[in-house]
Amino acid sequence: MLNYIIRRLLLMIPTLFIMSFMLFAIVRFAPGLAHPGAGGTTGKLNSRQAQKEQELEIKRRLHLVDRFGHPISVPMQYWLWVRDIAEGHFGMSYQYDEPVLTLIAQRLPVTITLNLIATVIIYIIAVPGGMLAAVQRGRWFDRGFGFLTLALYSLPSIWVGSMLLGFLANPQFLDWFPAAGIHTTDTSHMTYFQYLGDYCYHIALPLVCYVYGGFAVLSKQVRAAMLDNMRQDYVRTARAKGVGNWTLTVRHIFRNSLLPLITISAGVLPGLLAGSVIVEQIFSIRGMGALAYKATFGHDLPVLQMVGLVGGIIGLLADLITDLCYAVADPRVSYE
Amino acid sequence: MNSLEPSLPSETMMPRLLSQRPRSYWDNVLASAVRPWAVKISVAYLVALSLLAVLIPFIANSRPYTVVVSAHNSMQAKRLYPLFRSLTRLDLIVLVWAGVVVWCVLHQWLTRKESDLVRRRQRRWRVMILAAFAAIALTTLIGIFRHNVLDVTNYTRLVAEGKAHGAIFAPIKWGYADMEPLRRDLINKMPMPGHPLGTDGQGRDVLARLLWSARVAMSVGFVSQIIALVIGVFCGAVDGYFSGIVDLLFMRFVEAVEAIPTLILILIFVATFGRNIMAIMVILGVTGWTGYARFVRAEFLRLRSLDYVAAARAAGLPLWRVLFRYMLPNGITPVLVSASFGFAGAVTIESGLSFLGVGVRPPTASWGQMLNEAGNPATVFRWWEAIGPGLAIFLTVMAFNVIGQALRDAIDPHGEAL
Repeated sequence: MLNYIIRRLLLMIPTLFIMSFMLFAIVRFAPGLAHPGAGGTTGKLNSRQAQKEQELEIKRRLHLVDRFGHPISVPMQYWLWVRDIAEGHFGMSYQYDEPVLTLIAQRLPVTITLNLIATVIIYIIAVPGGMLAAVQRGRWFDRGFGFLTLALYSLPSIWVGSMLLGFLANPQFLDWFPAAGIHTTDTSHMTYFQYLGDYCYHIALPLVCYVYGGFAVLSKQVRAAMLDNMRQDYVRTARAKGVGNWTLTVRHIFRNSLLPLITISAGVLPGLLAGSVIVEQIFSIRGMGALAYKATFGHDLPVLQMVGLVGGIIGLLADLITDLCYAVADPRVSYE
Repeated sequence: MNSLEPSLPSETMMPRLLSQRPRSYWDNVLASAVRPWAVKISVAYLVALSLLAVLIPFIANSRPYTVVVSAHNSMQAKRLYPLFRSLTRLDLIVLVWAGVVVWCVLHQWLTRKESDLVRRRQRRWRVMILAAFAAIALTTLIGIFRHNVLDVTNYTRLVAEGKAHGAIFAPIKWGYADMEPLRRDLINKMPMPGHPLGTDGQGRDVLARLLWSARVAMSVGFVSQIIALVIGVFCGAVDGYFSGIVDLLFMRFVEAVEAIPTLILILIFVATFGRNIMAIMVILGVTGWTGYARFVRAEFLRLRSLDYVAAARAAGLPLWRVLFRYMLPNGITPVLVSASFGFAGAVTIESGLSFLGVGVRPPTASWGQMLNEAGNPATVFRWWEAIGPGLAIFLTVMAFNVIGQALRDAIDPHGEAL
């Protein structure tokens, strides 16, 4: 077991290395690297000498040249870049003239909170749905459920988001929900519970956008896992010894179907992170997705690079946690 | 349920069966996948959509097929063909390639009863190579000799004012970028006679734009998936065959690409390499190949230990031939499933990018862009412009997903995952 964990961790190192090098290379070889904003200076410089100085300073900060102005080799550049990140210097944003780390630290909690809430809701509604479909296999409920999940899986979130916002948060039609943000502009007078209620009220529509796709994927998995277990011999044994239908489904089959659900949880989170670009744009939520979106328009490569890196690391961690959970949860699988 | 392995015929039946063309694994898979009615509808819908994407200049265009311009300003009365004259290079190239595909499919269908398999295969290859050469040659010729004609004449008004007659218009009298500049009252209107789906904020016909968008969606999906397929199949094949350290490192690479959230990876590429439809196609291809690589790798890991591969190697065939002529045809079937879901994903992502404003450039119509233009929903929400494109994306993606699921069920009747 310990061996497995160590091996799994060791395998993560090359992945991390390749991913970071990829992000480094895309931005390093992109045109327009020595952007005036890259050095974090905003003052205007008039003399040619001063301009040259500034360019050199930018190149120095990006580790393109060393402090004497000699060019640095690409592998060395990469190494210095990695060292900077390890030290917490994520670079400067071109657009905001702020450290990227500050921006990400502001935005990441918003996105992660929303995604975690969405994941919990997905599990709460998908598990019973999938179980019911599996129990009712082949009957009308199962067929309708199969069609529904496929339809939900195919629904584009841009459409769902636009329609929800257009019809339910719009003075033209029904002005039931707020159209933007995750809380009211002025929250200073609110008590804690008022604030919480305000938050829930604001995130209701974005959550719908997050939830329906994941629900489709997950409930389908639950159904498949349940059906898989229903074919097993132990189910027949349990039935033969007189275990009731309800107990059999919940205590025997469902418990054994939990394993694949752990596996899929890793797939849900990165998917939601990618989806957050669109949902946050529709509902004007200032999260990671919105940051990436603004950065794309502003050609703000350092921000995009770091958003990609943080997203990638979250994805890898989710993968790792899943594998470890799987190893812990299933004693039947042996890992030498 | 779906018996894919052909049962062994008895001795007495053999002569009759041998005279028929033997059914391959592919034939069986396709036959059992297409059986459900939902799949039939999906295939029909997608064929119709492809036809629409190719023929759209003849369906929604503001220029008439033909018109006689009356004599005025010392000009003779003259019969013009404005629609054909103003076909762009892109229109013609799309027509050429679509014609080539139709030709190949027709040829396949016409020779389906041929009993001599070897000859049939030879002829098939010959036709496909010939067609590809013809298409490339024609594309080059179009690229050199054809110039896009900008024709801003308002033929509808000419006809209305009596300066032209005998006009035959396309079924829909608007193109994707035609507005009614002198009619303020026709901007931002709900559905009405003349504009069955209403007009958008610039007075353009929503129905025409909706139909024109099919071209962007289908071409982006098609080209990007071909790029992804080529990269994925090649990498997966090489990786699965060699395994060992190559496999270990390569799978880390695949994991690295998959770990970064798709849309953010694409945004990085868009910010770096700019935004136009070609770039979007390439970017979607370059970021979307990991699924194919995984599938092909798994198949090749299974195939490499089989006897026929060892025999082919022992016979001294070059490695690429063993990989791509012997192993690939046996390992490609699961890729069909992946391609189907991949196409759906590409359509979704393209519309998402256009929705965000980093996709195709205006005034080119795309479903995502129309959704975006349907309004900053908090102020003006043009529901008539939002419902059509959303429904179109939904139906297209759903059709591909239905087909993908049916293919998967046909290949692996026991798997139940989405």
